[in-house]
Amino acid sequence: MALIDLQNISISLPIYNSRGRGLKHEILRRTIGSNLQHPKDQNITIVRALSDVTLRIKDGDRVGVVGRNGAGKTTLLRVLSRIYPPTAGKIQVVGTVSSMTDLSVGMGPETTGYENIVMRGIMLGLTHRQAAALIPDVEEFTELGEYLELPIRTYSAGMMLRLSFAISTAVRPDIIILDEMISVGDAAFVTKARARISDLIQNASILVLATHDDNLLQEFCQTAIWINYGRVASMGDTETVLAHYHSEIGNT
Amino acid sequence: MSGYYAIAVKDVSSGLAAWRIWTMLASNDIKQRYRRSTLGQFWLTLSMAIMIFSMGAVYSILFHVEIKAFIPYLAVSLVMWGFISSVINESTNAFIENERIILHTNVAQSTFIYRMICRNGLVLAHNIMIVPIVFVALGIGINANVFWLIPGLLLVALNCFWIAYFIAIVCARYRDVPLIVASVMQIMFFVTPVMFRPSQLGAHAYILLINPLAGFLEVIRDPILGQAPSAASLAICVGLLLFGSLITLAFVGRYGWRIVYWL
Repeated sequence: MALIDLQNISISLPIYNSRGRGLKHEILRRTIGSNLQHPKDQNITIVRALSDVTLRIKDGDRVGVVGRNGAGKTTLLRVLSRIYPPTAGKIQVVGTVSSMTDLSVGMGPETTGYENIVMRGIMLGLTHRQAAALIPDVEEFTELGEYLELPIRTYSAGMMLRLSFAISTAVRPDIIILDEMISVGDAAFVTKARARISDLIQNASILVLATHDDNLLQEFCQTAIWINYGRVASMGDTETVLAHYHSEIGNT
Repeated sequence: MSGYYAIAVKDVSSGLAAWRIWTMLASNDIKQRYRRSTLGQFWLTLSMAIMIFSMGAVYSILFHVEIKAFIPYLAVSLVMWGFISSVINESTNAFIENERIILHTNVAQSTFIYRMICRNGLVLAHNIMIVPIVFVALGIGINANVFWLIPGLLLVALNCFWIAYFIAIVCARYRDVPLIVASVMQIMFFVTPVMFRPSQLGAHAYILLINPLAGFLEVIRDPILGQAPSAASLAICVGLLLFGSLITLAFVGRYGWRIVYWL
């Protein structure tokens, strides 16, 4: 039973310049303080990345997230993945979450492909034994053969992607969070990767997918959310939301 | 207030439960550094050995002490000091170096403190091998007081944890603090009895009481040299552990959640 419930979530991101990062400046600000400065502290800018977002995603939901660059899509995904604690509002997430925003976290360039399978597996929350059990599946999917015995710093970008993708998609979470579909590699790999991720998605309880590709949304998601300037501009079935989004934004 | 403690205790315990992650990352840190060298991680041991013998040769003359008596003291001192000072120095970077993991996965923040301490524990394990070699070569024995090392190491590791966590949070927010910490640790090396013995201060040895690092060093050095650590040092370690943990846990509960926004 998986569930994501957000109630009036807001995220304020502080952006510091180099002065705002300094301790000297902070001490001066707190001691001598505002008399010496502009009333508004220009060294810290607060960005409201999300405002008052309320949504509920239940078992079986496949939700797409659309919006322009910088509208708050990635921020929303980070909230759902429990990476950004909301600065206001309530969040409840039930179920194991796999955030596929960076597939190679925990991997190291000097270690071999085989060692990296185990390392990445542990990073995804497996035990040594469970991680080692992924090896046959990853071997078969990546078709890297003997390269798996080499340090991954010798891999090309495409090989690296095959490996990290294969490991990250070998675990089966309840909730999958995807930021853009993985779309690098040769044509044969893309087809294979598509099949694998479709299978993964079918087995998951919840999918949240942020993408600029309408075809993907229509293929995988029945519902969609349009995020604009950090707010939910529109929510509902994919076709309606996409139509609304494109009529407001244009077709770019 | 109790809310902050609840948050912090949850963070510290779920970090501990993620031991598979931080032990893997820590051992990988060491492997990555030395994978392509012939001696591998034993470069750590070798460079420490060279440091001990060259400093031993010079300072035994400066201090007018016999080199045979000085080298064992220096060996244990430098190895243990190396652990304490690297933990404090590397704590400044503990969250910054893990930015990618923090921004992409949902693991407890204390994981990264455990990773850093575990990594330095592995370095210590490599360096400590010099000590038996020196002791055997110079015909020096150990006695039952060596068992004090167990509570000593535990006390130092736990103290290191709260100090490192505190510094790591401050450094994630204020990026000039790492430089301050580095300078302070440089000074601490000279005012802590690493190269000299507390007894050389004579009647002025009391000034070491205000230097907590002197206490940390004593409880992990003296047992190997055949002495039980002084009650004063043990009391300092226990007292600081309680006091520091209370402060740091409140600090973690209050500010810990913001770390991700500071990276």
